[in-house]
Amino acid sequence: MTDILFVLLSFFAIIGALGMVSLHQPVHSALSLILTIIALSGLFALLSASFLFMVQIIIYAGAILTLFIFIIMFLNVKEANLPKEPNKNLTLFLGSLALLPLNFLILRAFYKMPLLTAPLEHDFGKIKPLGMELFTKWLLPFELISILLLVALIGAVVFGRKDEA
Amino acid sequence: MIANSLFMYIAVGMILFSIGLLGVISRKNIFVIYMSIELMLNAINLIFVALSNYHHDMGSQVMAMLVIAIAAAEAGVFLSLIIVLYRRKKSLDSDIFRTLSQKEAV
Repeated sequence: MTDILFVLLSFFAIIGALGMVSLHQPVHSALSLILTIIALSGLFALLSASFLFMVQIIIYAGAILTLFIFIIMFLNVKEANLPKEPNKNLTLFLGSLALLPLNFLILRAFYKMPLLTAPLEHDFGKIKPLGMELFTKWLLPFELISILLLVALIGAVVFGRKDEA
Repeated sequence: MIANSLFMYIAVGMILFSIGLLGVISRKNIFVIYMSIELMLNAINLIFVALSNYHHDMGSQVMAMLVIAIAAAEAGVFLSLIIVLYRRKKSLDSDIFRTLSQKEAV
């Protein structure tokens, strides 16, 4: 059962990613990226990371990509504003050939890894132990991330302001 | 059988990461480049979560959450930058943004 789920989810994730890279219109790319994100959240659920499953759907599919599609609609992109890519398929093909050795190297390093068979704790990946971990061992990175978010907020406001020359 | 081997998860993550890198190096549409960066972050998240399951350690799930927060911050800055540049240049071609690196930018 989990095998069928895994194969289906990874199939949809890879199909969505390929569509995202190869489609011409940005809206179509964003929609296929949403397919990939939701399939990846299913894979997180298979790995018993239930909190990350929710975060992935709520934050990525719900907030980031919705904001993204909103921006694409807001900019009102016409066909003439899109870049012309006459030999897009050729560059995609050559690029994928160039990326093959990297994949081969990394996958060969992981080939001998054993299976994930040992039973997990019953609350593995739930929100409470994850929060305990986050606020004890990872407190300093958490605070630094909050500063980073503040800086990004200020940066977005500064960029978005109208410039009075 | 397939679903509980670490290798399969790493393979899916690497394929997604390679597709994202491919999008960054071979497309010109600035939106597609941004989405490819998001895809690479997601692939790394998948590998993090798979390794967390493998080691029975929740630290890498926390790391995946931090990566999601960084992606959110990046989305805000990147999208406002795209809006400003699109208003000035009326184009989504990433080659036009080369003026950002030149001194006598128009």
